[in-house]
Amino acid sequence: MKWTLLIAAAILALAASVVLGPASVPLGDVLRSDIVWNLRAPRALLAFLVGGSLGAAGASLQALVRNPLADPFLLGLSGGAGLGAVIAIALHLPGPWALPIAAFAGALAALVLVYRIGLIGGAALDPRILLLGGVAVGAFAAAVTTAIVSLADAAELRNAFLWLWGGLSSASWDSVWLIALYAPIPLLVLLAASRPLDLLALGEEPARYLGADVEQVKRRVYLAASLLTAAAVAVSGVIGFVGLVVPHIARLAWGHRHRVLLPAAFIAGGALLAIADTLARTVVAPRELPVGVVTALIGVPVFTLLLRRWSVA
Amino acid sequence: MRRVLLVALILCSCGRSTAGRPDAPTADRIVSLLPSFTEILFAIGAGDRIVGRTTWCDYPAAAREIPNVGDGMPPNVEAVAARKPDLVVLYNSGPNVTAAQQLERIGIRTVLLDMNLLDDLAPATRRLGQLTGLEQRAESLAASMDSLLDRPRPPSTASLAFVVWDNPPIIIGRGSYLDQLAALAGARNVFHDVAKPSAQVALETIAARNPRWIAVLSDSAQPPAFAQRREWRSVPAVREGRFLLLQGSLFGRPGPRSAEAVRRLEALLAR
Repeated sequence: MKWTLLIAAAILALAASVVLGPASVPLGDVLRSDIVWNLRAPRALLAFLVGGSLGAAGASLQALVRNPLADPFLLGLSGGAGLGAVIAIALHLPGPWALPIAAFAGALAALVLVYRIGLIGGAALDPRILLLGGVAVGAFAAAVTTAIVSLADAAELRNAFLWLWGGLSSASWDSVWLIALYAPIPLLVLLAASRPLDLLALGEEPARYLGADVEQVKRRVYLAASLLTAAAVAVSGVIGFVGLVVPHIARLAWGHRHRVLLPAAFIAGGALLAIADTLARTVVAPRELPVGVVTALIGVPVFTLLLRRWSVA
Repeated sequence: MRRVLLVALILCSCGRSTAGRPDAPTADRIVSLLPSFTEILFAIGAGDRIVGRTTWCDYPAAAREIPNVGDGMPPNVEAVAARKPDLVVLYNSGPNVTAAQQLERIGIRTVLLDMNLLDDLAPATRRLGQLTGLEQRAESLAASMDSLLDRPRPPSTASLAFVVWDNPPIIIGRGSYLDQLAALAGARNVFHDVAKPSAQVALETIAARNPRWIAVLSDSAQPPAFAQRREWRSVPAVREGRFLLLQGSLFGRPGPRSAEAVRRLEALLAR
């Protein structure tokens, strides 16, 4: 029943984001329209894939660091991506893909740095240090970014922040294919780690007694979730709340077993972002809202309602 | 207590409005914190009195010789004061009001002027004329600026969209200088219905409104990088390479060269 509802919601969200938009396309022409085929359809699919990736990444990171506040962007990746994008603009790197590639590289650099900091106490990845390292690296990257923006002369640097919070405007079949081919690998790595992630919730010691290779799982989960997030930020900028709220909603409905939680968080995240982006494009048309505003406006009340139901029950 | 406060308020407001006093001496050492003001001061013959300018003040060529006091967003008050100006001209905006108050507090005369639309040009020019004692030259420049606005509008045939950023797409709407330029040059801004100087829109809105031209502020002769992006090729003007590449220094600001900007835009549209 829960699954039927979720899948129906996802299909409805995708259909709505293809049919609805600021440009009026008669229902009969939907399949022939260039606007629908080349702009709306890839944007809807990209929203679904990015939202899903963020949902799954958030769910596994929350289990890894055993902190309900964990968000895929908390571990320094948005700071690194922003720095990469600003450097690309400041150096006038040419080409239509310069910004996304630079942002991805920046996120990867932050990922490696945070990972290295996480290993500071020896061979074991310490989740608490990982979390602190992520916040520190993110703050440092943001400071360097702001310094470059205020010192360099290029007027377009101010737009780097627009890009970083840009949302799904740059969706095309190119970016859909890119994510569709890339995301399954880290997603499968996360899914394969679902049993040890369940055990990790009991604490590292008990998990080890129950036969989980804790160190390997932590490394794999951290790298896979971060690689998912780095790709998401490269194609759609930083989109808040999906990776934080969706895993909690999914956990309230599906419980703590990651083999079901991760797919549920993926589909719910995808549906939420597809709905949010449709609203962002249509409610104030012809203008557009930043999609992160809409994800927060929908996600937070739904989450609060569920929390209430959960606490009462 | 209340009376003391009232007196203090009145004193403060007097202090702030020194620039408006008719008996104030003419300014000899001016810091100009907006490229438009720098251009106007040069045009009325006060260019040699400018002792500080912003990074963006690049016209006329002589402006580049003047010491740079920063990007002006917000102004670096110490760098401005170090030029020992007797007048600082600022664009009227929130952060600049604060900066002007700080400068007034250390005894430097300031004036805040609006400069958002063509309509702001003549009043600002007349004011700068008063402040520099060059009223006559300012008046003739202001009159020519007014005549630009009064010019009968040519029929709007060609349509265009100003794209100032590509991801997310940011366009120029009504109530902006560029929208006015387009109208004077005989072009219809397809986002004239958006009552905001700039706004984020969905790419499909640009595609559906199908402007004949995509106008971008650019100092390069090459089409912008987004022209090669697949999603932008759904916009017919992008697919067919119909770009208006407008030089930022000429088109990006109201000023004495606005009439020239209109003529250049007309010529580009007539291609």
